[in-house]
Amino acid sequence: MSIVAGCDVGSLTTKAVIIKNKRVMDSAIIRSGPKPAESAAKVMEKLFDQTGISQKEIACCVGTGYGRGKIPFIDHAVSEISCHGKGAQWLVPTARTIIDIGGQDCKVIKLDKQGNLLKFVTNDKCASGTGRFLDVMAKVMNMEVSDLGRLSAKSSAPVIFASVCTVWAQADVIKHINSRRPAEDICAGINTAMANRVSMLANTLKIENDLCITGGVAKNDGVVKALAKILGCRIKRIKRTDPQLTGAVGAALFAQERQQALFNNPNRRYL
Amino acid sequence: MKNVFQEAATTLDIPSVQEWKKKDRKVVGYTCSFMPVEPFYAAGILPLRLRGINATSMEIADSYYGPFVCSFPKALLQVAGTGKYGFLDGVVLSNGCDTLRRLDDCWRKMGQDIKGSLPPWFHYLDVPHKPDGHAFDWYVNQIKKMMAAIEKQFDVTITQEKLYHAIKEQNRVRSLLWELEKLRRKDELKVTGSEAYTAIIAGTVMPRDIYAGHLSDLIEDIQNRTVDVAANRKRLFLSGSVCDDFDLIHLIEQSNAIVAGENLCFGVRNDEDIVSETGDPVAALAAKYLSGSVCPRMMGWYQARSARLMNRIKNINVDGVILQNIRFCDLHGSENGLFERDLEKNRLPSLRIEREYGPLTESGRLRMRVDAFIEQLSSGNQTR
Repeated sequence: MSIVAGCDVGSLTTKAVIIKNKRVMDSAIIRSGPKPAESAAKVMEKLFDQTGISQKEIACCVGTGYGRGKIPFIDHAVSEISCHGKGAQWLVPTARTIIDIGGQDCKVIKLDKQGNLLKFVTNDKCASGTGRFLDVMAKVMNMEVSDLGRLSAKSSAPVIFASVCTVWAQADVIKHINSRRPAEDICAGINTAMANRVSMLANTLKIENDLCITGGVAKNDGVVKALAKILGCRIKRIKRTDPQLTGAVGAALFAQERQQALFNNPNRRYL
Repeated sequence: MKNVFQEAATTLDIPSVQEWKKKDRKVVGYTCSFMPVEPFYAAGILPLRLRGINATSMEIADSYYGPFVCSFPKALLQVAGTGKYGFLDGVVLSNGCDTLRRLDDCWRKMGQDIKGSLPPWFHYLDVPHKPDGHAFDWYVNQIKKMMAAIEKQFDVTITQEKLYHAIKEQNRVRSLLWELEKLRRKDELKVTGSEAYTAIIAGTVMPRDIYAGHLSDLIEDIQNRTVDVAANRKRLFLSGSVCDDFDLIHLIEQSNAIVAGENLCFGVRNDEDIVSETGDPVAALAAKYLSGSVCPRMMGWYQARSARLMNRIKNINVDGVILQNIRFCDLHGSENGLFERDLEKNRLPSLRIEREYGPLTESGRLRMRVDAFIEQLSSGNQTR
C-alpha cells in the first residue's frame, strides 16, 4: 500500500492531494498566505485532519507552484508546468494541449501521447487572462467570483470591453453598471474578455486535440464556453476531481513515480 | 583572477579603470559591438562598453523614452542620469537598433536638463545595415571620421603603426576568447557558463593588457581542472538580445543545467572572428566589424546568420536552446520566432522567454520556465 502526496503552493491558493493505491484519496484547498512554507504546512495539516493519515505514512511528497522551493517537508520539487501536464493527462488521458489558468498566471502546455512535455508558453507580467482578472472584476460587481460563470449563462447581449487591461476593464465595468446594463451581460463580457486574452496565448502554440482546461478558472463555465467558441474547438472538462487540484494531482503522480522507481531500484539516483 | 572578472562584470566602479584614470588617461564609452575599439587603443584611450547594471528604477529614463521601449538603452540612460558615468571623457553612440539610436537624442536632451550628465565629447557613429557595396564604403568613411574626431577632441595622433599594433593586440584577446570557447565545446566541461561569461563581459570594460593577462591565466587554470561541471546536467545554449548580466546565466545554472555557449552580443562567435593584420587597417576593421552579419540589425542576412549559429550550436553539442529577448526588442523578438522554427526543424528543443533587462528581470517566473524546460529535456523523447 503506497501513500503519496502532492502540494501545490500557488499565488492565490494552496492545494494538496493524497493518492493512495493510485487513486485520489482526499484533497484540500486553502488561501495562500505570504509565506509558502506556512501555507504548505497548513494545507497538509488540514488534509491529515480530514483523512486521519499522519505525515509519517506519506512515502513521498512532491512540491510544486511558485513556492515549491520553500517547502521544507517535500522530497522533491517539480515545476507547475510539468505538474499540470502530468495531472491533466492522468485525469483526461486523451489530452494533448492543456490550458491552465491560475491565480496570477496562464500557461499553455503541449504533451505527447506518453505525457512528455513538448512545448509550453506562459503569460508575461500582465494579470489579464489570469484568475486575478476575474477576482478584481467580481469585486467591482460586488459578487462572488463563482457567480460570474453562473450569471453569464443568462446573458443574451454580452457587453464588449475596449481593453483587457485589468485596470482599464475595471473602469469599463463601473461605466456599464452606471449605464444600468444587466449584470449577466457585464459578467458575460468579463468572461469573453478573459477568454480573448487566453486565446491569444493559446494561439501561439498550435492547439492539438484533445484540449483540456485546468486551474481555478476552469470552474467558470462562462470562460470555458467563450474560449471554446473563440478557439473553435471542444474543450474537455475534468470531471474526476476539482480542476483547481490538477497541479497538486500531478505533483502526487510525480511522487508516485519516484516512489515506484526507488522501489524497483533502491540504488537509482532519481532526478 | 576570478574576483577580478567578477568585480569588473558586476560593478561600474572597476579598480583597473580607476587606476587608468588616475594616470590621467581617457575613457570613452560605447554601446554596440559594431563599434571598433582598436582606434581608441591606438589613441591611448580606454574604450569601455556601457552597461545598465545598477539601474534599479527607470524614473529618469521613462521621462525621455516612455514606457514601451526596450529596457537596455533606458537602463543606460538611467545610469548616466544618476551621474554614475561621470568619469567618462566621451561617448560614441551608434544605431545598433532604433532605440539605441534614440539614446543619442535622449541623452543630449537629458544633458540639458540634468547638469553634468552629458560627457564632454559625444560622437555618433552611423553603422550601415548591410555589409557590402556602398554600405561598406560608408562604414569605412564613418570609422575615418570617428578617428579624426578622436584626434581633434583628445589632441592625439592615430598613426597607422599604432593602429596596426592595436589590431594585433585586440586579435590576441580574441584568440584567447576563442580558446575559452573551444574549452566550452569539450564533452567534459570544466567551466560553468557563469564563470566563462563573467570573464567575457569583463573584457569589454577592463584595460586590454590587464585583461589579456588574467584571461590567459583563467584558460590555463581551466585546462588543469579535473571536475566535469556538466556531469548529469543539461547543456544549454543561450541566444538573443544583449545580455551583460551573468545573473541570467546563474539563474539558468541553478536549474540543473550548464550554459555551454551563448550568442548575446559579447565575446567571439567563431575562429574567423579576427581582424586582418595586412592591408589597409581601416578597411580591415570595417571588414571584421561589418561582416558576418552576426546581429539581426543586419538586413537580409538571416539565412547565413541562422546557418552559422546552428553550426555553432551543434559544435557545442547542447541539449536545448534558450532564446531570450528583452521586452520590446523588435530585432531579436522577431528573429527568435524564425530561429525557433529552424531549431524545431533540426529537432533541437528550445524555450523562448521575454524579459526585462538585467536587474529588472523577474527571476521567480523565469526560474519556473527554465525548470520546466529542463524537465522537458529530461522527460524522455528529446533529441540531442
